[in-house]
Amino acid sequence: MRVLVMSEDPEFFRSASAMAQKLGGELLGIHPSESKYVDVLYVPDLHDGWEVPLADFASTLTPDVVVTGGTRRDKTFAFSLAGKLRSSVASDVTELSLGDSFLLAKRVVYSGMGIATLKLKLPAVVTVQKNVMEPDIRKGEVKKVQLPESNVKVLSRTPAQQSVSLDKAKIIVSVGRGMGSKENVKYAEDLAKVLNGAVGGSRPVTAEMGWLPEDRQIGLSGNKVRPQLYIALGISGQPQHIAGIRDSRVIVAVNKDKNAPITENADYTVVGDAIEFCKVMVRRLSK
Amino acid sequence: MSVVSCFKIVPDDTLIRPVGGKLETNVQVKISTYDKNAIEEAVRIKEKTGWKAIGITVGNTDRKSVREALSMGLDEVISVSSPYLDVPGTAMAVAEAIKGLSPKIVLTAETTTDSSTSAFPPYLSQVLGYTLVSFARSIAVQGDKVKVERSVGDIEVIEAPLPAVISVTGEINTPRTPSVRQIMESSKKPVKQVEFSQVPLTELVEVKPFVVNRKRVIIEKPMEEAVEQLLSYLKGEGIL
Repeated sequence: MRVLVMSEDPEFFRSASAMAQKLGGELLGIHPSESKYVDVLYVPDLHDGWEVPLADFASTLTPDVVVTGGTRRDKTFAFSLAGKLRSSVASDVTELSLGDSFLLAKRVVYSGMGIATLKLKLPAVVTVQKNVMEPDIRKGEVKKVQLPESNVKVLSRTPAQQSVSLDKAKIIVSVGRGMGSKENVKYAEDLAKVLNGAVGGSRPVTAEMGWLPEDRQIGLSGNKVRPQLYIALGISGQPQHIAGIRDSRVIVAVNKDKNAPITENADYTVVGDAIEFCKVMVRRLSK
Repeated sequence: MSVVSCFKIVPDDTLIRPVGGKLETNVQVKISTYDKNAIEEAVRIKEKTGWKAIGITVGNTDRKSVREALSMGLDEVISVSSPYLDVPGTAMAVAEAIKGLSPKIVLTAETTTDSSTSAFPPYLSQVLGYTLVSFARSIAVQGDKVKVERSVGDIEVIEAPLPAVISVTGEINTPRTPSVRQIMESSKKPVKQVEFSQVPLTELVEVKPFVVNRKRVIIEKPMEEAVEQLLSYLKGEGIL
């Protein structure tokens, strides 16, 4: 058994390593900086457009199982590699175990409505969700790797604005159409400030109306979050949005319509105007 | 010259409910949400380049959904009916269906609302031997190349040679709503029916409802009192 772990992101690399270690066998890793969670670590020089060239390299390692992180680049790498190996695949896996010549994986399906158990033939390529498991320290013999040129040429890159990480925020104040206007988002920001939380948004306000940058999007296509407290302001609660917040510990919704789908998925729903709610909360919490 | 747009017909995720310990997925179907962005983008490329825009759907071949795709502006649809296929099987089915068409661009959504793996576009690119561009939020065709803005945490502007498989994010466009006339005319457009089957590499053992039991407490009173009550609940939860 040869298991390969890869992620561009250090935390994802740890999560993926921890899940891969449980499978047993020889553990290989690919990660841009040194890490001691695997037996042999390949350290590539990640030049522009590296995802497919790295998959080319990884296919030469002939892994039985590949476990990667879940960033968009991780997935691009993982499933290009899967295509090259003609392997089975599963994405955003939460549990993983090895059976007799197959891999058993659990993952969320139907926009968060269901959990599927899959039996994957080997070789198998999976991406995992972030978890809190700590991997053991291994030998970590380091080998440098030179990647072939990519046929994708990167002309420019604008780094993501990583002001507050939604990933790590304990409290998230999130806005939807019901906030009314881009100017009104400041009330949510005021509330986030007194709560020491981060501000996110639904797809309509980030992708379509531009009230917030796209990297603030929470949902199926954006960030999946798991804060202690999630406050949904004027968000109706489409399944694509719920898919991103299901792991939150407590969900509070503020909505004028008490029949909005979000109330089904909230612990507490305050029926009323989201801006008024923000103002009263800020006044009350600043005391 | 042609552009192909892949789309999947899936159970409407707004209607799926847990019923008696099982997940009721036998509900009305629809074109998966972001697949409409892929169809829209194919039609925009057709309008700019004069290429033919061809749709491919694999699995469920619901006629109403196929007609909706045609009324959005696709010239024809290849409708592949199949028993259960996993991602590798779907990629093989699409590769088989477009054999001989040699499209310049194959568009897909970044992910579907049923299985949401994001695995299909990269997998397909390798099966076809095409360039891969994932998570595109704008596409400009420039002769034998495309210039694409992709959203992968960073925003990258890249240039890639054709033919290419390009997956699009929901941000790329707003899918059009077809007019009554376009819907009428769609019935005259060709739909090629084919069949495909392959033994899947993945067996779906079971799907259970993912139930997170929320308290669903509704607080409906003047805002000052509502906030007061909410804060006491949150203190009770040990959060504030």
